[in-house]
Amino acid sequence: MNLENKHNTLPTIAVEGLTGCAGELLVILENLDKLLPFVRVVSFPFAQSSNQGGPVDITFVEGSVSQKHDLEKLERIRAASRWLVAVGNCAVWGCVQKGGCTNCSAAEKMLQVYGKDANFDVLEAAPLEKHVHVDVRLSGCPINATQFLSVTASLLQDHLPYITSKPVCLECKLKENPCVLIEDNLPCLGPVTAAGCGALCPSVGAACYGCWGPCQSPQMEAMAQVLTEKGFALEEVISRLGSFGAPAELFKRWKPFNENGAAVKGV
Amino acid sequence: MTQEKETRRIVIPEVTRVEGHSAVTVDIKDGEVVDVKLDVFEGTRFFERIVVGHKADEMAHLTSRICAICSTGHVLASIRALEAAVQYKPSVRLNLFRELMHLGMIIESHATHLCALVLPDFLGTKDLLTFADKFKDEFALWTSLRSLGCAIQTMVGGRPFHPVNLHVFKLSHYPSRESLESLLPDLKSGAELALKLAHTFLNLKLPNIPSLEPNYLCLEQDGVYGYFGDHIRSSEGFRRPISEYKEYLSEYAVTYSHAKKSRSNGKPYMVGAIARLHFYHELLGSTARSIYMASDLARGSCNSMLNNLAQAIELVQAIERVQTIIALLSELSHEPEVEAPEPRLVGSGVGAVECPRGTLYHSYEVDEQGVITAADMITPSAQNTERIERDIRNTVSHRLAENGAGKDENLECDLETLIRSYDPCNTCATHAVRLRYV
Repeated sequence: MNLENKHNTLPTIAVEGLTGCAGELLVILENLDKLLPFVRVVSFPFAQSSNQGGPVDITFVEGSVSQKHDLEKLERIRAASRWLVAVGNCAVWGCVQKGGCTNCSAAEKMLQVYGKDANFDVLEAAPLEKHVHVDVRLSGCPINATQFLSVTASLLQDHLPYITSKPVCLECKLKENPCVLIEDNLPCLGPVTAAGCGALCPSVGAACYGCWGPCQSPQMEAMAQVLTEKGFALEEVISRLGSFGAPAELFKRWKPFNENGAAVKGV
Repeated sequence: MTQEKETRRIVIPEVTRVEGHSAVTVDIKDGEVVDVKLDVFEGTRFFERIVVGHKADEMAHLTSRICAICSTGHVLASIRALEAAVQYKPSVRLNLFRELMHLGMIIESHATHLCALVLPDFLGTKDLLTFADKFKDEFALWTSLRSLGCAIQTMVGGRPFHPVNLHVFKLSHYPSRESLESLLPDLKSGAELALKLAHTFLNLKLPNIPSLEPNYLCLEQDGVYGYFGDHIRSSEGFRRPISEYKEYLSEYAVTYSHAKKSRSNGKPYMVGAIARLHFYHELLGSTARSIYMASDLARGSCNSMLNNLAQAIELVQAIERVQTIIALLSELSHEPEVEAPEPRLVGSGVGAVECPRGTLYHSYEVDEQGVITAADMITPSAQNTERIERDIRNTVSHRLAENGAGKDENLECDLETLIRSYDPCNTCATHAVRLRYV
């Protein structure tokens, strides 16, 4: 049996991008040589010219849903995919396009950035899960290549992968880093941010800025209290905590926010 | 002979093997090209608005999210803009580390563009398996060179893209002499691979496309073939400080695309490797220069597809320069790591860097509390958009004249190859575009 025939019987994968920085596409492209013996890549427009629609075993989707075109594409992808894996902060949480500026609508942003004649089909930037069922959520900014490969390996065995989202502090302690929040008074978001990066920022003496999105059950009120006690203005604390797409419901119990999770001015 | 009366439309619904999403439509009537549209339909993210209200020190990690492959460029442009606002002069050591980081991006980006995105056109492979399986050498060339670029950026920046170690006024951690020197063996083998790749591109037979007149813009360099500068040079003869970019670049809106268009001196222009070599080929080291001298670039050809070769030459040069920087930093490693005192971030400033695809501008206004009140970002791909359209128009017209009404089977493929040679980055072009009506 020649290689191409054998290849045609392999499980299929697709790699698609919505609105994002293409970082996950890059990580996947750079690690594809490790997958090629086990899968057939039926669609990956960033990396190859010959791309097919139709049913596929695993589709990895990067980016947030930020325009009508994204939503239509996502619905097509969902219908054709057995497993849909959201990869990267954009697809899992919505990243900075969702969290960077929460007090201003997509329509206002369009007006301010593109001018009054602009008329694009913009949607409020949202993670995939707001629109379709997602089987696996693999966050990261960018994703960790080892996690990506193990998610793929699990799914190829018909097994949903187990992804932990313990806080960055855990990885920091394992590396025996000095605490930049307590000792250096930096606005480190490690206590409420999902680990997986290897505590990169604190390891070089910088504050974690939350790029992997929230960890499991993040204590947002406690985090905010520590930061305000260290002298950071409440507005700055709110903006830093929300930048990388932390959803509004995580802030519900916290007084400066109303029940929709929007910041209340003047508290 | 009767003139063929026909209306034809060439449509490329999604240009593959480029970063982001774009489509091309060419309308032909009576054998003449009447309209060319490059529609960048990547979703927009409104970065200029998103960053407003954030602290100035957050700009590096927020703007890096505009684009993964150019993230180092965005980080450095934002840092340079904010430092320009307070007239901060970084130390020699800090500048060398930043240059090292930037060269890591140049190596990774050029290698990925040239090997993974461009070469398949010339090898005739349409999918990844065929490329990886039938052209093992080329595939290995790419994985080795981009790993080298990743290793440099990981050492200086903490990860291959979206760096965590680069900040306004400082690095939060200075890599040791040992970790710098650990790169040397891979740099040595990388230099050979880059040379091999450059020769591959030197010997490629390019599809038949007509040349456009040169209208190039590039940051002014001083003594070293580099990527940072405070003035712009134009092949139209002017030299201006980058703080006046709004005057020498004019941008205008188009309704069909999420990327704006840009002109200089009333004409479409090109930024990127070909423009940099046009001005500064004399600053190349001997190896890179000998390839340049053997190429059509030295003979004044303005074929935009030579941008690929220009990138390959820059790859050779970058690997040589990285080795020089490591030697310089090793000498400095005995001196204490002291930077000038950090001033309070306030005021307004413009910063620019030469990204893999050309000049990238960031501009900020910062209030007394250190909060961003206004931001503007001009990306290389947005600047090249109109020239790409002009190139498509000329190519189609030329080929119609050559082939008459006969079918030109390679035309669509060649158009994609042409677009790809600009290395367009549509994620950058749409995520950081601000429209100004002129």
